[in-house]
Amino acid sequence: MSKLRSVIRHEYLTIVKQPSFWIVMIAIPVAIAVIGFLIFLGNSSSEARIKEVTSNLKDVAIIDQSGLINEDVVKSAELQLSPAAELETIREQVRTGEKEALIVYPESLLKTQKYSVYLSSDDFTKMGSVNGLGDAMLQTSLFIPLGSAEVVALAQQGAQSDLVIYNEGKESAGFNEYIAPGIFVILFYIIFAFSVGYMLTSVSEEKENRSMEMVLTYVQPRTLIVGKLLAVSLVTLTQIAFFALMGLIGLLVAHQLGNSLVLPFGLDLTKMVLDPLVIFFGAAYLIVGFLMYAGFMTATAAAAPSTKEANSFSTVFFLGAFVPFYFVTLLVTDPENPVVQFLTYFPLTSPVVTLIRNTVGNISTFESWLALAVMTGFMLLSLWLAIRAFKLGALEFSQTIKLSALFKK
Amino acid sequence: MKKPIVHVKDFSLTIGNKQIVKELAFDVMPGEIFAFLGSNGSGKTSTIRSLLGIYQATTGVLHVNGTPLTPATARAVGYLPEERGLYTRSKVLDTMIYFGELKGMTRDDARDFSLKFLERVELSDKANLKIKKLSGGQQQKIQLGVAIMGDPQLLILDEPTKGLDPVNRKLLLDIVDELQQKGVAVIYITHLMEEVERLADRLLILKDGKARAYGTVAAVKKEFESESIEDIFVQIYKEKSHEVAHV
Repeated sequence: MSKLRSVIRHEYLTIVKQPSFWIVMIAIPVAIAVIGFLIFLGNSSSEARIKEVTSNLKDVAIIDQSGLINEDVVKSAELQLSPAAELETIREQVRTGEKEALIVYPESLLKTQKYSVYLSSDDFTKMGSVNGLGDAMLQTSLFIPLGSAEVVALAQQGAQSDLVIYNEGKESAGFNEYIAPGIFVILFYIIFAFSVGYMLTSVSEEKENRSMEMVLTYVQPRTLIVGKLLAVSLVTLTQIAFFALMGLIGLLVAHQLGNSLVLPFGLDLTKMVLDPLVIFFGAAYLIVGFLMYAGFMTATAAAAPSTKEANSFSTVFFLGAFVPFYFVTLLVTDPENPVVQFLTYFPLTSPVVTLIRNTVGNISTFESWLALAVMTGFMLLSLWLAIRAFKLGALEFSQTIKLSALFKK
Repeated sequence: MKKPIVHVKDFSLTIGNKQIVKELAFDVMPGEIFAFLGSNGSGKTSTIRSLLGIYQATTGVLHVNGTPLTPATARAVGYLPEERGLYTRSKVLDTMIYFGELKGMTRDDARDFSLKFLERVELSDKANLKIKKLSGGQQQKIQLGVAIMGDPQLLILDEPTKGLDPVNRKLLLDIVDELQQKGVAVIYITHLMEEVERLADRLLILKDGKARAYGTVAAVKKEFESESIEDIFVQIYKEKSHEVAHV
């Protein structure tokens, strides 16, 4: 037991004491914050520039041959309609730079749904703002006959729907039901992106730096693998706690700045649904899936002679975790499809597929148990393979252990 | 009469379809330096791994202190393997303490021993450096420190002086001498026959997994009618086949 504790402590501290561990951890939320800030800054400065350009767009001529443009709308923009007869003259003025721009709504506008803009400059911002001006004048002119400003706004922007969904006669929380199980999908990818790879690195580095033989003199292979698994699990918990803390700080900062959190699809954290069975399956798929992948990674690292080759072999496991996203529409809309059924039970895709189906609620209780049982079977197989590959390959420094050798007596 | 600390009898090892070791038998007595010799691929490392319980013997007996060695009883053994290395990203002291714990020492005892050893080999100032910052020779001293932690009764040194400069080689051999004086048995694997001549009490020469010479240094020399272990070694490896010469 004390040796197991020593292995856990050593493996855990080896990972978390590396500066690269914290650099990557901190870099992710910092990168998100920086990108958000840059987008905000970019949008603010673009909006300011457009306002500035639009406010300077006083030398724009407008010719309406379609009869659809409302003169009051044009006047409200402090502009004037020009007679159609002056089209060629004004166009020439724009070409020579005497006039800034010309917008022409042709007679065939209704039929072709096209109008022309002539511009004296290739300034992108000006291009956008003159186009915007042309669109705005057309839309507003068309909507004016509808009536009040509220009606026009409603027609232009539409309205938000308040969704009420009934499931078996009871009102359901809609997309809010997806929040809790959806967190397990996110957690799986955090674990997969960071922790599963640590198992690979931990074993293959121990082989590569030749410390393995000294370690195996004093520790059973099983103790070593279990110790590594538990240490990596602790690393994962550390990461989750760190990201949760960062998220909390982000929320507090947003709150202090007076911004409310707006989630997509009308998600509302206050309406999150905590179904014990759904959460149980989410947690179970996460843990069993993690152990299964960790087992396969350990077996790969033990069987391969070097870190480089172990990394090459491990690509197949990464594919398994990301392939389901190519089928995500199918997974959500057609759970009976044979492809979905295959991906639900195939070991390398099973964790992600079951987590997604558990999130959207299209997996029956029977299927959930069956998928968990199959996944647990593969998890045990992967751990057995890991220990077997470890016994055979831990001290093999020149060649890869063949798969057939793992199953020989 | 002293009991042997290592007792190997009728030991054979087959891995896959290849027989690595054939009916090997030898004893190592407390306080002696036992040279375990053979060319690359002769079966030395496989024998040692089997003695340590890392490999499972196909047949025969491999006992340390009267029982097969397991990780639980491995504290009695200090091992410096040929394929050796340390956790390059870990600090010197942390690494030594970790191995001490794996051997069954308490954390405090492992720390005390490590600090004393580092002082002895003039590496005290490197205790909190990462292993990768150390030179090859310095790393080898740390490996020796790890091997002799926990008062082992048996020390297995596989080419311990490989890559060491004369100063560090002398330091290492002095430490081995000291341990021998304290009654520690040493299985010494080397390709340097002058080290065998200087250090060994008894020897075994392995070829193709079989013992070709076994006994005290003087007895083997007498048996082969030669004054040089190196000549005997070359003679054995030039012969096509030879049964064990002397026990």
